[in-house]
Amino acid sequence: MDNLQELLHGFTIAVTVPHLVLMAVGVLLGILVGVLPGLGAPNGVSLLLPLTFGMQPVSAIILLSSMYWGALFGGSVTSILFNIPGEPSSVATTFDGYPMARDGRPTTALATAFGSAAFGALIGVILITFLASWVAQVALAFGPPEYFAVYFLAFASFVGMGGAAPIKTVVALAIGFAIAAIGIDTVSGSVRLTMGVDELVKGVSFVVAVMGLFGIGELLVAVEEEFHARAVSSKIDWREVFRAVGRLPRHSVALLRSAAIGCWMGITPGGPTAASFMSYGIARRFSRRGRYFGTGEVEGIISPETADHAAGTSALLPMLSLGIPGSATAAVMMGGLMIWGLNPGPMLFVDQKDFVWGLIASMYVGNIVAVALVLLTVPVFAALMRIPFVVIAPLIVIICVVGAYSVSNSYLDVVMMLGFGIVGYLFKKLFYPLAPLVLAIVIGDKAEDAFRQSMLLSKGSLGIFFANKLVTCLIVGGIALLLLPLALQLARLLRKPAPSANETTVQEKVII
Amino acid sequence: MISRRALELATAILTGSFGAAVVVSSLDNGIGWSSAGVDAGTFPFLTGIIIVLGSLYNLVRGVLPAASLANVRIAITPLELRRLAGLFVPAAIFVAAIPLLGMYLASAGYVFAVLAIPRHQSVPRALAMSAATALALYVVFERMFQVSLPHGALAAALGF
Repeated sequence: MDNLQELLHGFTIAVTVPHLVLMAVGVLLGILVGVLPGLGAPNGVSLLLPLTFGMQPVSAIILLSSMYWGALFGGSVTSILFNIPGEPSSVATTFDGYPMARDGRPTTALATAFGSAAFGALIGVILITFLASWVAQVALAFGPPEYFAVYFLAFASFVGMGGAAPIKTVVALAIGFAIAAIGIDTVSGSVRLTMGVDELVKGVSFVVAVMGLFGIGELLVAVEEEFHARAVSSKIDWREVFRAVGRLPRHSVALLRSAAIGCWMGITPGGPTAASFMSYGIARRFSRRGRYFGTGEVEGIISPETADHAAGTSALLPMLSLGIPGSATAAVMMGGLMIWGLNPGPMLFVDQKDFVWGLIASMYVGNIVAVALVLLTVPVFAALMRIPFVVIAPLIVIICVVGAYSVSNSYLDVVMMLGFGIVGYLFKKLFYPLAPLVLAIVIGDKAEDAFRQSMLLSKGSLGIFFANKLVTCLIVGGIALLLLPLALQLARLLRKPAPSANETTVQEKVII
Repeated sequence: MISRRALELATAILTGSFGAAVVVSSLDNGIGWSSAGVDAGTFPFLTGIIIVLGSLYNLVRGVLPAASLANVRIAITPLELRRLAGLFVPAAIFVAAIPLLGMYLASAGYVFAVLAIPRHQSVPRALAMSAATALALYVVFERMFQVSLPHGALAAALGF
């Protein structure tokens, strides 16, 4: 009951005129970056970061999280109307969303997507409401070894469940750790990995990496294929909106299943992209109409959308209560929290009650605002897609350049951002996952500190990671997740000696 | 035409050499255990080793003819390569021009060049768009958010 009281208090913070305005602004900006190819939620949020430094943390986080909701919705709009996913996590929505829209039912497709997305988000927020403070309470007793074990589990789950090739995930993670280590070491004060470049002493900001990896990288991937923005009609028939939402309860099994998958993948950092694909795959296998998937099935829209938003929302749970972001965007927001002088983790629930519960309450309101705004603005943003890509592309390049520069007024950051762009392109092209890389840049230092503090406690013995039940469970769970891909591979080899090459390419298409 | 194999190879070499650089550079900070606990270089050293080993694995997997990845022959067609260059080369020139011209002139020139030279837009429209870009940047950053963008060596020489 305590939680509900706190939540009500949170509503008194979130539902004020300035905060509602911030939500609307955030959602609209979010839809904009979600719709534009090459700009995604991680970019959008990191672009806005410097502008939030003068704000109250709670107002800042409301703006940023609303942008996140907007981006999640915006990505689905282009997926359905143009067959162009605005966000990686809405790729799975194109499979059935676009065919349905092309068949002359764009309103049904959009309303189904938004309705199920809102449901997924709602389940995610409810989960946060009831679970986050409990998790934080448990985590209050954590020492450095427990923290390191939780970080280890989070990174291992990327490898085990992220869906990309495991070794490529490991490489991406390790590169992120190495980048995080550049600059002044927080424990010893010595300068590390600057390779003789004095300017690197300040370290490499995650914003620079995000601008390059997600911004320039995605732009390069997008420019490869010529855009055929052959939109289906984007007119909204309001009666059909309500009819489509009214039909949703008929698919309650799919809704609940997808929400569960999404929440799971959000909390254990698998991320929204992996969640939506997994949910789509499972729905196709278990639905009675599974063989019609891909031709505009309702459940083919419901499953990825619900899971996408449930994962996107619940990714904030570990960020708030443990200080471990569950997705790339959550990682960027956590970077923001640290810049505002807050310490993400269980102490937030003790020291910063207003912040935490204001944010949680704003999630309820923000998602309602997002659904309403996205429905109202579909025609506007659909028109935006008709602007030729050659005009949009240089503008996005300029936005990324200015964004990278304004982090610390450094020209080197701009050059590095461009370098990250090439890396982002190569990684996307070859299916290296980007989210673990960003995550490792943001929390790499903390994981390292936890490891070194544990070693100090135990005087250099690794035995401290098996000293009590909790820490042992976490470490063993992490190791199990690391070995999971290997075990699956062995099982597959035992079942049939020669795995067909075709299978891998199909799988790769699904991962991204 | 660039094959998938070549791309895998290049990426693995890129990540691997980064890993090697991390390993070498972290040796300066000392690895292992000292009176102050785990030395500063240890963690980066380990991540460097992981990067190198992982890159080697990816290299072998991407190049081996038996590996399934080599089945995808073409990763980038010549046409795609031209489109990539068409986006990236002007962007790189734009970034290179910033120290000299400053953010405003460089971005205006960049927008104009990308739109007018391949004749995507007429010259007056491209001019209008580039002017609008520079003006928008100035209003939003210099005025609204008081973030100073680089003005460039040229502006400094002219006394701005």
